[in-house]
Amino acid sequence: MADTQGPPQGPPPPPLFLERMGRLQTAIHCGTPDRAPLSLVMDTFACNVLGVKYSEFCADLDVSGQTMLGALEKLGDVDSMQWASYAPAILGMLWLAPMKLPGRELPDDALWQLDEQVRIQAEDYDRIVEMGWGPWFGQYIGRYLGEAAAAAAEMQQKAPRWVGEFIGRGYVPFSAATVDHPYEHLCGGRTIQEFTMDLFMRPDKVEAAMQAIMVEKREQARQMIRAIGPFGYWVGSWRTAPQFLSPKLWDRFVWPYMKELVEIVAEEGGIPMLHYDACWDREIGRLLELPARTCVLATDGQTDLFRAKKILGGHMCLMGDVPPAMLTLGTVDEVKAYCDRLLTEVGPDGFIMAMGCAIPPNAKFENVKAMVDSVRGG
Amino acid sequence: MTLSPLGQAVDQLQPDAAVGLVHEKLAAGEAPLAILEELQAGMGAVGERFEAGEYYLSELIFAGAIFKQASAPLQEALADASADADGIIVLGTVKGDIHEFGKNIAGTVLSSNGIKVVDLGVDVAHEKWVEAVSESGATLVGMSALLTTVFDDMREAVATLERAGLRDKVTVLVGGGPMTEEAAAYVGADHYCKTAQDGVVIAKRVLGVS
Repeated sequence: MADTQGPPQGPPPPPLFLERMGRLQTAIHCGTPDRAPLSLVMDTFACNVLGVKYSEFCADLDVSGQTMLGALEKLGDVDSMQWASYAPAILGMLWLAPMKLPGRELPDDALWQLDEQVRIQAEDYDRIVEMGWGPWFGQYIGRYLGEAAAAAAEMQQKAPRWVGEFIGRGYVPFSAATVDHPYEHLCGGRTIQEFTMDLFMRPDKVEAAMQAIMVEKREQARQMIRAIGPFGYWVGSWRTAPQFLSPKLWDRFVWPYMKELVEIVAEEGGIPMLHYDACWDREIGRLLELPARTCVLATDGQTDLFRAKKILGGHMCLMGDVPPAMLTLGTVDEVKAYCDRLLTEVGPDGFIMAMGCAIPPNAKFENVKAMVDSVRGG
Repeated sequence: MTLSPLGQAVDQLQPDAAVGLVHEKLAAGEAPLAILEELQAGMGAVGERFEAGEYYLSELIFAGAIFKQASAPLQEALADASADADGIIVLGTVKGDIHEFGKNIAGTVLSSNGIKVVDLGVDVAHEKWVEAVSESGATLVGMSALLTTVFDDMREAVATLERAGLRDKVTVLVGGGPMTEEAAAYVGADHYCKTAQDGVVIAKRVLGVS
């Protein structure tokens, strides 16, 4: 698991939280709430709203929680945040590569970047099979991911407090953890170029390694969800989008694992959050194979969400997808018009208003505010 | 156009066949430039399959690697062949952004389609574009970005070309994850490329080559 914020801490939730949670649950089950709920993802945008240095945000999980909560309160009536605190170093656990962070390798105001190099060698596919994922990954963490693992441990320790803080103020911290696809792990540690070559040159070895990863991931995911509870769990797609792979490769290396991980989350009572970046148009109909009225599909503006509604309406809640470039370069009127279209054509049933992927750091505040206000006819 | 067996090997994503045929042709005394043209024809066919939705980025990456591997023995003989390129493009990821994968794919498919690529790398300072265009005589500039935060840097890079009096002499292509037609207009580019193959199609059209 790359990212977990654990169960919430604190007193019973206030009525406002319950109202918002009810609105979200209605949408998740493909019903029509009193109005479309909102759920946001923001990190550096929140820094810019409050004047917090990116380096400070990255260095201290409590600063990340304070910053995101502060920015949320400036935006007004937002039902939910996907994450209540954040440590970018933790991304290393997803893509098996260390992060370059502001204030350390990068200037204070620079965005964090993945330091992607060939760290997994071709022979490692066999080693993963021989050793098992846990022991192999333990060695790999020791060599490359000490900081990412420390960030994950800190998040497990501190994040529940921030989940409690958000709940106490009436906000729904939607997601509790990620359940990562083995493709994302191997592709990150091997690099896109080399991993893509491996899919053609040594497909059986890649497949065997992915299956070995799944042996342990299945049980880890089940135990984690049982321990944390019925929150959202990101089963995300970044490098696995159909846009990047031919149907033959995608059917073999992506979909079976994606489907199984989603089913595991649903079976354990979690809400599978399909945070899908890039274009999924080609395979959008495959999502009908996933559990009905349980998942949330969150796209980033590159998938045609209007077409997706025609295919998935009544089967799956859709979330999104004001494009990052529109929030950055567009006008308030453009954002309003796009949101109105989302509300009427993708909503009103089974729809959560949101940005595509995450609010970009240089989004105009007034554009984000227009998106937030749109659900109340603003 | 009918592909030669070498072109077919590239088109059908058969690395061993492509490499073997290049060695056979060199041993038989065939001209390196003619062999290169067969490889390029194969890459052209790969591009057509990509445009038709038959191949995807995965196949573009693999075909690019096959092309590189198969053409490696030709490089020494073709060292002076850049003068025969259809055109020159200065390519890079703009200042403030270190993502190189998309830029590298674009470079591979452009060069394998007969366009000489001057690769400036990543995090390219604005004045570097001016220097590279001036030195190479390129008529195309390709700017890549994966972050919305560098739209203004991309715009400034285009403005720097303008201030240097080079803007009218080059066609600026932009691409990358967050780019859109609107973002391309904002930065002052001439063309938005949704994919690397779009870059090839637009570059060939601008250069007037088929």
